[in-house]
Amino acid sequence: MNDMNDMENESISKNLEEALKSFESKTMQVPAGYFDQFELDLMQKIKAEGQAPQKARIVTLFLNQKKYLVAASLVFAIATGYLFLNKVENTTNPIAKVEIIDIETLPDELIEAYVNNNELLAEVEWNSAIESAGTNLISINN
Amino acid sequence: MTDQALIIQFQNGDAKERAFTQLLKRHRENVFFQIKKMVLEHADADDIAQAVWIKVWNKLDGFKQESAFSTWLFRVAYNETLNFIAQKKRLKTHSTQNEIDHAFDHPSGHNGLKETAIQIKLERAIAELPEKQRFVFMLRYYEAYDYEKIASITGTTVGGAKANYHQAVKKMTELLQQA
Repeated sequence: MNDMNDMENESISKNLEEALKSFESKTMQVPAGYFDQFELDLMQKIKAEGQAPQKARIVTLFLNQKKYLVAASLVFAIATGYLFLNKVENTTNPIAKVEIIDIETLPDELIEAYVNNNELLAEVEWNSAIESAGTNLISINN
Repeated sequence: MTDQALIIQFQNGDAKERAFTQLLKRHRENVFFQIKKMVLEHADADDIAQAVWIKVWNKLDGFKQESAFSTWLFRVAYNETLNFIAQKKRLKTHSTQNEIDHAFDHPSGHNGLKETAIQIKLERAIAELPEKQRFVFMLRYYEAYDYEKIASITGTTVGGAKANYHQAVKKMTELLQQA
């Protein structure tokens, strides 16, 4: 306060100066022995803090490589998608080809040979179908 | 023993507590009264001062002595005080306003009723100042710190600190003149 230049002193009115003096005396009031007690309390607090178990530091792995992880995930997703779709295309193509074959274009010998080879099998399946239908009819009539 | 020597002693780890208490004894009153002029309530000033010195204990090892210890200490006090005030504002419990209201209801001035009224007016005026202006004014007027030091403490320029001081004086004068 004493070092202030004249200009600053001039800018503070007498009224304000008196009020500031009175404000200072008010704020300077502390209970007796306050600072000694403050020191004791503070050192106790510091010691207590020092003895308290240290909180475990949480370290997040790959925090710095986040953008690389995102990029890698995208590449993986795109590659997996591409491979999957490609595989589906490869497996569906032969089936599609079989379905496209027109029966009229097949030679008669081939159809005949197929029927002969599978005739017995078809007959057995047909007979067992008739049998099961027959038992059903009997059970309904009874 | 100088502040610098005590800090070196603290940082070396020999008689750490003794070095710290020496620094505390030397600066505790200045720091406390500066804080109290900012927040007015004794209990608030006590809390902030405790927080300041705990921070000093925790951070003094990393203090490179690029500025005077008192500058660094007041910077810690400035930050802690601003944090405290901001927190109080968030909780919508204006301690300074409460204190002033209390002073209105229970005038305790020892120089008569007239002076108490002026004092209350001044406290209102101080409470209305922005925190930075208030802190700058207190450091300049009561501690007689030079503007370079005030600028370092409050993280502003010398010109900014001067402007803050003059603005504070102007506002307080105006508010005191109001009926």
